Amino acid sequence: MFTSNSTSQNSFLVSLKIKLSKLLLQPTFLIGVVLVIILSYLVIAPIVSIFSNSVSLTMMDAMLSGGKDGEFTYKYVDRVFTSSISEKIFWIPLKNSITVSFFATLIALTLGLILASLVTSTNILGRKYLGFLLIIPYMLPSQAMATAWLTMFKNRKISGPQGMLESFGITPPDWLAYGPLPISICMALSYFPFAFLLFSSALSKIDIQLEEVASTFGAKTKAIWSKIILPLLIPTTMSVLLLTVARTLGTFATPYILGTPAKYTLLSTSLYSSVRSNDSGVVAVIAIVLSLIGLMLLLVDIWVVRKWQRFVTVGGKGIKRQPSKLGVFRMPTTIFAWIIFLIAALGPFIVLALSTLMREPGNFSFSNFGLAYWTGVNVPGMDQPGIFTSPEVITALKNSFLIAGSASIICGVLGLLIGYAVVRLPGTLISGFLRQISFLPYLMPGLAFAAAYLSLFAVARGPIPALYGSISLLILVMVVTYLPYASRSGISAMMQVGPEPEEAGMVLGAGFWRRITTILAPLQKSALIIAIILPFITGMKELSLVVMLVTPGTELLTTQSIRFLDFGYTQLANATILIIGVVVMISVFILNRVTKTNLASGLGG
Amino acid sequence: MSEIKLKSIIKNFGGNSIAVDNLSETFPAGEFVCLLGPSGCGKTTTLRMIAGLETPDSGEIFYGDKTFFSSKTGELIKTENRNLGLMFQSYALWPHMTVYKNIVFGLEMQKKSLEEKDKRYLELEKLFHLENFRDRYPSELSGGQQQRVALARMLAVKPSLLLLDEPLSNLDSNLRLEMRSELKRLHHSLGCTIIFVTHDQMEAMTLATSIAVMNEGKIEQIDKPMEIYNNPKSLFVAKFVGSPQMNIVNSKKDEKLATCLSKKINIEKEKVKNFGIRPETMKMVKQDDGDINGTIETIQPTGADWIVGVNVNGKSLFLISSDPPIGKENDTVGIFFKPEDCHSFDDNDLRILKN
Ligand SMILES: Nc1ncnc2c1ncn2[C@@H]1O[C@H](COP(=O)(O)OP(=O)(O)OP(=O)(O)O)[C@@H](O)[C@H]1O
Ligand SMILES: [Mg+2]
Repeated sequence: MFTSNSTSQNSFLVSLKIKLSKLLLQPTFLIGVVLVIILSYLVIAPIVSIFSNSVSLTMMDAMLSGGKDGEFTYKYVDRVFTSSISEKIFWIPLKNSITVSFFATLIALTLGLILASLVTSTNILGRKYLGFLLIIPYMLPSQAMATAWLTMFKNRKISGPQGMLESFGITPPDWLAYGPLPISICMALSYFPFAFLLFSSALSKIDIQLEEVASTFGAKTKAIWSKIILPLLIPTTMSVLLLTVARTLGTFATPYILGTPAKYTLLSTSLYSSVRSNDSGVVAVIAIVLSLIGLMLLLVDIWVVRKWQRFVTVGGKGIKRQPSKLGVFRMPTTIFAWIIFLIAALGPFIVLALSTLMREPGNFSFSNFGLAYWTGVNVPGMDQPGIFTSPEVITALKNSFLIAGSASIICGVLGLLIGYAVVRLPGTLISGFLRQISFLPYLMPGLAFAAAYLSLFAVARGPIPALYGSISLLILVMVVTYLPYASRSGISAMMQVGPEPEEAGMVLGAGFWRRITTILAPLQKSALIIAIILPFITGMKELSLVVMLVTPGTELLTTQSIRFLDFGYTQLANATILIIGVVVMISVFILNRVTKTNLASGLGG
Repeated sequence: MSEIKLKSIIKNFGGNSIAVDNLSETFPAGEFVCLLGPSGCGKTTTLRMIAGLETPDSGEIFYGDKTFFSSKTGELIKTENRNLGLMFQSYALWPHMTVYKNIVFGLEMQKKSLEEKDKRYLELEKLFHLENFRDRYPSELSGGQQQRVALARMLAVKPSLLLLDEPLSNLDSNLRLEMRSELKRLHHSLGCTIIFVTHDQMEAMTLATSIAVMNEGKIEQIDKPMEIYNNPKSLFVAKFVGSPQMNIVNSKKDEKLATCLSKKINIEKEKVKNFGIRPETMKMVKQDDGDINGTIETIQPTGADWIVGVNVNGKSLFLISSDPPIGKENDTVGIFFKPEDCHSFDDNDLRILKN
């Protein structure tokens, strides 16, 4: 009895000792545990808080209606779905969102498919340049298109400087200036580059031999496209469709700029008004609805990918398709493609730039041009300093760099750390948990996530102080939202390197930190740079995520441009947007230079 | 230099498949041991456990008087402190370091001075013909050169135990031959213990001072190469070593042939489940002159010899000989067996020892 007891205790101690020394041997494990703890809080807590907010009485309502603060209630669910204002805050916006998403997606998809086919497979003029130029709209923040539209088509309905057309004596009708039509078009023009990129890459992956076989049966180009290539593109089409729908649903800037004047509300703008009016219960309910839509789209995507998996063409020798001769259609198609570039990329740039250089819109006399909006100390008629002398813009510029910069660095490092832990601890609970949890924010649209953070960090909880109104909250929310992309690329970067380089160092006597610094870090240098620059680009353009979290003093360039618009300082808003565009393009340029990767590979962000 | 001793090593990667199954073995000091076995039998896992890159679920590993691992006492020495040399199948050269940096890395970890590093580098450079490569990066080297760098990197710190995991499998056949003799020479001159993983039996036969044949996480037999070849302890070893494969005659399915063989080697047929005859030990003779008759099915000249397939009562036997066959396809010929070259295996697929 006594002996058996002591041996079992002994063996327990021994196995504990082995476990401990393994732990010390593998700091990976510790890293994994720390990551799990941090992420659980950052990812799960906001989700929990938003669910609890949706069914608990706020202090304000408690005082008004005599209930208890935090009491369980269906009040907000009712308010959103059945009350007298439900039409206004939910049902109409939902209908509008669906309408706009439908048309925007339809246009984006069609444009993307046509342009991708033209650029990858025909002798259209300038195809080499178009491949790059057509991606430029992706680099502009989404409000660029909308403000450019407004600058062009604005009529007297809203205050501020005249629209360009108006100054030529043409008054654009309301339906052209504001509301569903311009919103759909602007969204489509902002998002078609995704479709273009995804279709282009799918087209270049299709095995050329499949087409050659068909042509040996006498199939003409037209038949090859309709019978072989297009059907093979179905899976890509589905992915593009869902991705674009998800993005259009989450976009805030376009409906805010072009919808507000016509009182045309989408879910995103309705959510924003609820935040502004401090209705946190309603915010939570709408955020949950948005997340559910996101989740549904993701599930559909997974299902579609499964279903169409057998369509995935294996291999492909990387032989380029011989560009087919377009004959008489060559000129019209060329003109079409370049016009799209003009409207979607160059046009907004020119419109925005012109508007900031002309004192009076539409007056092209030489004396009307000037740098007043940029360098002026006091812009005539606005009582505002020019962009470069405006303290607000300078603060916003600093904040943008600080927030997007820190968020992207943290995100990049965190992504690689997660990758390291996931890849080095295969089959463990930690690995699976990290993988799942870092993906979770993907399901929540930025607006919903921001709403969750707003409610979570508005007050101090435990050791975590109230972060509302601080730069750190903005950094935090950006880090968590971009985490799915960062951790995915971190995992794949670590997979590519494999354990061997490190193990070789281990055998030769290099300890953990030594291996990290002399072997792993240099090997992952370019992965790290990509992992930092991509979120930086997205962060510089980010609006919907931060718009409800900023406070005076923590404005970013993107939110500052919205403020300017709110006050009718169109030119200043346009100049701010141009600055963002320039910063993003420089970052893309650096990315290309340093790492020789293109945007297509990092499309996730 | 010391022997390496494994005691009841079990390693399970989760699930119910066992990678290494209760392995106990001693690899004597100074030997060149080849671990030979089919894909997935646990060779790499065994090697990685000796190196400390994997921890066994239970069991003990000793190297001389050092305990690398013991699940009994809980001792565990980190890879970093085991002082052994390991070479990976992929070489695992660090792409961001020059040849020089790669090779002196181990010395750097031991905080050796610059002169010492340079001195050792020059020695290795000469030994492995790496002159002029000092400042190149691994991607600028050919496969064979990379491999020599990997060998040099491993040997720079003068480990007394070398573990090599299929180091030659990425090379073309000429370079392979060259590197084999290089390794053999190294073993002689360094006098260290080498454990070498391969699934190429030719490599094992030519290099090893002893071969350990592994199957499903167990070592089936460890012996001198010729001993493995001539006296395989189990049906698996018999089938795995030798090319073309040993002919296996099942005493139930191929009754007639089995009866003939059991008479020839004077053993009760009922005791034997399978007989085995190596292709090169049979002789083809005129019809009715041998122990049994058969019909020639196929004749494949390989250049050096002929591989002939003969059908004996429905069972195809393969013969190999350096003389041209005495008949054409569909001719009937006799086959002659040498009793000392006929192997017999019992119901447990173990060798039946001759009395
Ligand atoms: N990290 C791992 N996780 C899960 N299973 C593993 C792992 N490593 C090896 N295994 C499994 O353990 C068994 C033995 O693998 P091992 O790599 O030792 O085989 P091997 O003899 O080296 O084969 P090969 O000749 O193909 O290299 C295999 O069934 C393999 O699938
Ligand atoms: Mg192996």
